[in-house]
Amino acid sequence: SVSHSQITRLYSRFTSLDKGENGTLSREDFQRIPELAINPLGDRIINAFFPEGEDQVNFRGFMRTLAHFRPIEDNEKGKDQNGPEPLNSRSNKLHFAFRLYDLDKDDKISRDELLQVLRMMVGVNISDEQLGSIADRTIQEADQDGDSAISFAEFVKVLEKVDVEQKMSIRFLH
Amino acid sequence: SVSNIVPESCLLIVVGLLVGGLIKGVGEKPPILKSDIFFLFLLPPIILDAGYFLPLRQFTENLGTILIFAVVGTLWNAFFLGGLMYAVCQLGGPGLNHIGLLANLLFGSIISAVDPVAVLAVFEEIHINELLHILVFGESLLNDAVTVVLYHLFEEFATFEQVTIIDIILGFLSFFVVSLGGVFVGVIYGLIAAFTSRFTSHIRVIEPLFVFLYSYMAYLSAELFHLSGIMALIASGVVMRPYVEANISHKSHTTIKYFLKMWSSVSETLIFIFLGVSTVAGHHYWNWTFVISTLLFCLIARVLGVLVLTWFINKFRIVKLTPKDQFIIAYGGLRGAIAFSLCYLLDYKHFGMRDMFLTAIITVIFFTVFVQGMTIRPLVDLLAVKKKQETKRSINEEIHTQFLDHLLTGIEDICGHYGHHHWKDKLNRFNKKYVKKCLIAGERSKEPQLIAFYHKMEMKQAIELVESGGIGKIPSAVSTVSIQNINPKTLPVERILPALSKDKEEEIRKILRNNLQKTRQRLRSYNRHTLVADPYEEAWNQMLLRRQKARQLEQKMNNYLTVPAHKLDSPTMSRARIGSDPLAYEPKADSENLPIITIDPASPQSPESVDLMNEEPKGCAGLPPSPEEDEEGLVMRVKEPSSPGTDDVFTPGTGDSPGNQRMLRCLSDPGPRPEPEEGEPFIPKGQ
Repeated sequence: SVSHSQITRLYSRFTSLDKGENGTLSREDFQRIPELAINPLGDRIINAFFPEGEDQVNFRGFMRTLAHFRPIEDNEKGKDQNGPEPLNSRSNKLHFAFRLYDLDKDDKISRDELLQVLRMMVGVNISDEQLGSIADRTIQEADQDGDSAISFAEFVKVLEKVDVEQKMSIRFLH
Repeated sequence: SVSNIVPESCLLIVVGLLVGGLIKGVGEKPPILKSDIFFLFLLPPIILDAGYFLPLRQFTENLGTILIFAVVGTLWNAFFLGGLMYAVCQLGGPGLNHIGLLANLLFGSIISAVDPVAVLAVFEEIHINELLHILVFGESLLNDAVTVVLYHLFEEFATFEQVTIIDIILGFLSFFVVSLGGVFVGVIYGLIAAFTSRFTSHIRVIEPLFVFLYSYMAYLSAELFHLSGIMALIASGVVMRPYVEANISHKSHTTIKYFLKMWSSVSETLIFIFLGVSTVAGHHYWNWTFVISTLLFCLIARVLGVLVLTWFINKFRIVKLTPKDQFIIAYGGLRGAIAFSLCYLLDYKHFGMRDMFLTAIITVIFFTVFVQGMTIRPLVDLLAVKKKQETKRSINEEIHTQFLDHLLTGIEDICGHYGHHHWKDKLNRFNKKYVKKCLIAGERSKEPQLIAFYHKMEMKQAIELVESGGIGKIPSAVSTVSIQNINPKTLPVERILPALSKDKEEEIRKILRNNLQKTRQRLRSYNRHTLVADPYEEAWNQMLLRRQKARQLEQKMNNYLTVPAHKLDSPTMSRARIGSDPLAYEPKADSENLPIITIDPASPQSPESVDLMNEEPKGCAGLPPSPEEDEEGLVMRVKEPSSPGTDDVFTPGTGDSPGNQRMLRCLSDPGPRPEPEEGEPFIPKGQ
């Protein structure tokens, strides 16, 4: 798992973000990070840290979410087939991303959810219809079971060519 | 067959050998590959082609690795080889004793560099996975700086009596100057080229020229100051590409692509042939010890270098390099014509043993190209190395990749870690905010990457549909809807939709068929002046209309699918008329007052989709609407701007032309000859 020095580093980061000094972070603490404010997905990322219905996240929760982004070690592969899958496995990484799309948690990315994300990423200059067509095209490409939405399996399939292990890993959590 | 076993480069060298032998046999002196010609004319096209189409994403992701291989690896090779060869020379008896350390080091530096031409020639054919390809290829490009520095350094030092520490330190510093200077020169020229392309909307014909010109000037300028010309070339290509592609017309883009491919192919061929000829022609001095030990140590140095460096690099990489990867990297270290030319440049006065060096270098080149080149393919198959995936990038990948980019940037910010994504994001923001505004004309500067990608994709698909005759390949309703939906905001001009009966259609077809022949004879010559200035034309919102036409065009093409392709409807003709450069956007302000005639391509089968915008209200109502909208299906007559977005010679009729005349002008551009393997007219963004 994560090494001692990294835990220390992350803890100091955690405390520096924790202005209220009560050992937990609230949403405002996250929003204080300037770059996050201009990130199109900023709000969703912040929400991902907070478990269902809660407003505070402690260090454990903080680490747990970040653990998804640990690079996959070579020696971990295939080691523990019986135990629970590590948080940073490819499947779990993708699941994390999927949950950011799927706000209503119905295990499907619907057209609307996709539209929302597209709108956030693309800005205000593009017309709704145009975005709509892109969304339609996207779903059409990915959809295999004909439900006009992207399920997790379909999501995984579309990204099979993308090197998710590398893309969704942060080196410093190594 | 032979071509499956023997890579093209080998065959070319053999041809060269034969030709050289022939010439010699006749008694003439065969020409040798002069270094001037090589460095000034043969090498730049290949490098520009490589640099312009460099897959930037993979390159930057692996930049650290590539740099380490290029710099440290080459240095290691050079010194290891030079040192060992010196030892060999000392021990090698009277023939070799006089070769000093410096000469050996120089020799080492010449032969140690992996050659981009050879790597390209061999790796292109084996279709290896992108990571390995970019690692070896990137290394071969970037090690030019090291080679240049070492070469000049040792060459100069050889003339000194004494080499002091200062000289060495200066030499070390000069490396940074050479490489960074080269990159700097390249970036400057790249920016100038991008800036120039912003204003070329009226002279579309010479757009490709700017790309070539500025790149070549970057190369020459860098070489002039003994900076790394190759790095300048690559830097200029990389920098100018996104902006130039946003600005230039689609046809210019195709032109650039094909010219670059053509030139680099020709260069490559010539280089290898000349290598063969020079081998026969050159003065050789064969010394068994020297040559064999060179060969041996080259291989050993390469293998050791790769092993050690990979061990080091893997500590920092997320995706480690496996032993299989390492083997391919080591095995792909081919030497080529650059080494030969550099050696040829050596001065006899200082380097009397030049001939021996030359012989050794040629032997190494032959060995790497023939033996390694021929065996790499079976080895790749044997080791089951991952091959390149041929599929195109889907919109899903594009969207999700961008999504992940944002996600990772956000996570990095939360961690307070300034990693790869953070800087990439910052660069993108800077680019969007300042640079794009300067360098991209008009509204395209605001177009998000996703949209641009999507447009390109749709366009490509539309063209493919048409070219394939469309039968049975009707896109799903969603796509049709999508195409229709694009840009519904601009519906400014009223559209008169006459109903076309079947008889009328037949009539139209007949007229077209009959007149097509005569049309060609009455063609106005393809005059470049008519491309430029169009006296009748002043509309500035042609761009918007063109965009709209493009949309409708795509829609029509979908409808058109049901019409069997006519003989006249060769793909080239249809291609020639497609979207008259819908990518050449230059959305000027909407000057609605200027009436424009535009005939939209109409499908005969669906008369309701015939759109006709009429300038003179009296004009069209009664006429069988522009007969030309028929056969060619994709005929798009633009009654406007010379805006050479349309290089086609579509001269606007002075309105009121009866069908035939319109058709005349409309068909005046026969379009390019069909290219047998024209598959992908576009290069998708993000490639």
